[in-house]
Amino acid sequence: MDRVLFGRTLRAQRTKLLIVLAALAVWGALMPLVYAELIDTPLGAQFKQMVDSGIVPAQLTKFGGGDIFTLPGSIALGLIHPIAVALVCVFAIGFAAAAVAGERQRGTLEVILARPISRRTAYRTLLGSLIVFLCLAILAVLAGTVASSAAFGKLGELKVGNMPLLGLNAVLLYTALGSVALAASVSFDRLGPALGIGLGFTIVSYFFEILGSLWPAAEPLQPLSVFHYLDPQSVLDGKAAPFDLVVLAAVTLAGVAWALAVFPRRDLAAPS
Amino acid sequence: MNAAITARGLTKHYGHRRDPRQRPGRVIEALTGLDLEIHEGEIFGFLGPNGAGKTTMIRLLLGYLHPSAGSATVLGFDTERESQAIRAHVGYLPGGIALYDTMSGLDLLDYLCGLYRRAPSRRAALADRLEMSAATLRRPVRDYSRGMRQKMGIIQALQHDPELAILDEPTEGLDPLMQRAFYDVLADIKREGRTIFFSSHILSEVERVCDRVAIIRRGRLVALQDVARLLDRRKRHVEMRLVGPAPSLEGVPGVSAIQTVDGLLTCQLEGDVRPFLAALDGAAISDLTIEPAHLEEAFLEYYAEET
Repeated sequence: MDRVLFGRTLRAQRTKLLIVLAALAVWGALMPLVYAELIDTPLGAQFKQMVDSGIVPAQLTKFGGGDIFTLPGSIALGLIHPIAVALVCVFAIGFAAAAVAGERQRGTLEVILARPISRRTAYRTLLGSLIVFLCLAILAVLAGTVASSAAFGKLGELKVGNMPLLGLNAVLLYTALGSVALAASVSFDRLGPALGIGLGFTIVSYFFEILGSLWPAAEPLQPLSVFHYLDPQSVLDGKAAPFDLVVLAAVTLAGVAWALAVFPRRDLAAPS
Repeated sequence: MNAAITARGLTKHYGHRRDPRQRPGRVIEALTGLDLEIHEGEIFGFLGPNGAGKTTMIRLLLGYLHPSAGSATVLGFDTERESQAIRAHVGYLPGGIALYDTMSGLDLLDYLCGLYRRAPSRRAALADRLEMSAATLRRPVRDYSRGMRQKMGIIQALQHDPELAILDEPTEGLDPLMQRAFYDVLADIKREGRTIFFSSHILSEVERVCDRVAIIRRGRLVALQDVARLLDRRKRHVEMRLVGPAPSLEGVPGVSAIQTVDGLLTCQLEGDVRPFLAALDGAAISDLTIEPAHLEEAFLEYYAEET
């Protein structure tokens, strides 16, 4: 890691980071609020009756493996919701894809690599920055969740001791996505292809997981998705699967190995 | 004299010819078999039109590109295996430099110097010479004109007092006054024993500041000489206004293409001027002009061979 490059990267992202962290904290706080409204109000009771009667398909209330009628399930639903995914992907995909390809497209990578920094060190620094951003993002959403659960008197329904493992699982998921985007970033001279690969991998992966959760015939697609290896409800219920972490770590390592092999060997011709 | 830069058969081809039946045109020969030695303490000009291979050479020296064949060293370090060590001792100004627009000039210079882990010992003098005041440096880079960005590029390349400066088209966008200030900066750096590798297509500035020059054409080195010797061997154009009979210049060493039209004698003069001046002794002339030799003629001569 290069200390100067790391510091500059953090400073350059600070405004965006603060906005995303605030949004994620609010989003995290929203799930216990919705759950409390469903459980504690007559309107919520009516809605549960509707679901139990089969008018509303049960799959819709268990979107992405969540369950809106339990607190861990609500939190799970919030974590896998497109809004949460999009917010974290501002860094997992947006930052990662632009980290090298964006600098290269602007021409500023030239100036950085004219300094005595190896490409491997530059990559490691950017990967380190990405992991810091993702840790902060997941921390914000989980902090919002715990604070909101406490505010609505639901903290007792939550095994808070399982939250760090959930955080680790979530960080690993987005690090896996980010490592793919970063691998694409070091492989291209322009932002477009790097962003396309990062977004494409994420969207297809997400689609497989959600389709499988809503349509039983598509379940075989779910193991092909990295999102399949984040099961927040099971983790919060104390039934975490270590294999999920292993798979996500393996995807991350594959991305890192690609980047460390390709980036130092690439020719960086003059920007056109 | 130690070598600051050496290149031995340095070659860079872009593209691949995986199939031998594939057309050779798909492989771009950016640099072919370049042999070069640049001495410590000299200002070396690397001349060629756009696309001749100047930037490819620089990028090979700094490790941005990997050679297809051959090798090069910079300050004794191998460009393939020790490019990080090279960059620790080199200041580089890329052609058409891009800067971080949101940073202030001062923050940007601090950041870029911090990556060297060296003090910006030359920054204040450079900023003073190039008229980048403290107030200007406090402004965001996005507010800078093209010339100010180029000045920032020069300062960031030289502020840490590198042993070797590699400058790609350094006066691009500078006004004539700033160009002159920049030439003074180069002279100072040279006096302190630093080496400057200077890529340009502006012949007059290469002629003015460089000790030696290499001319590159389609990725191949076509000339490598002292600027003074290169100019000595150029033909100078001579004009003289006659007020009497024309002096006899036939057979004078170095004089050729003699023509007299309406009392105006013109000829070409090459090499030592003394035999020519001796031949003019007592000649009836009212005016004499010997145009100085310029690098441009030498350059055009090398390029004319191509057509």
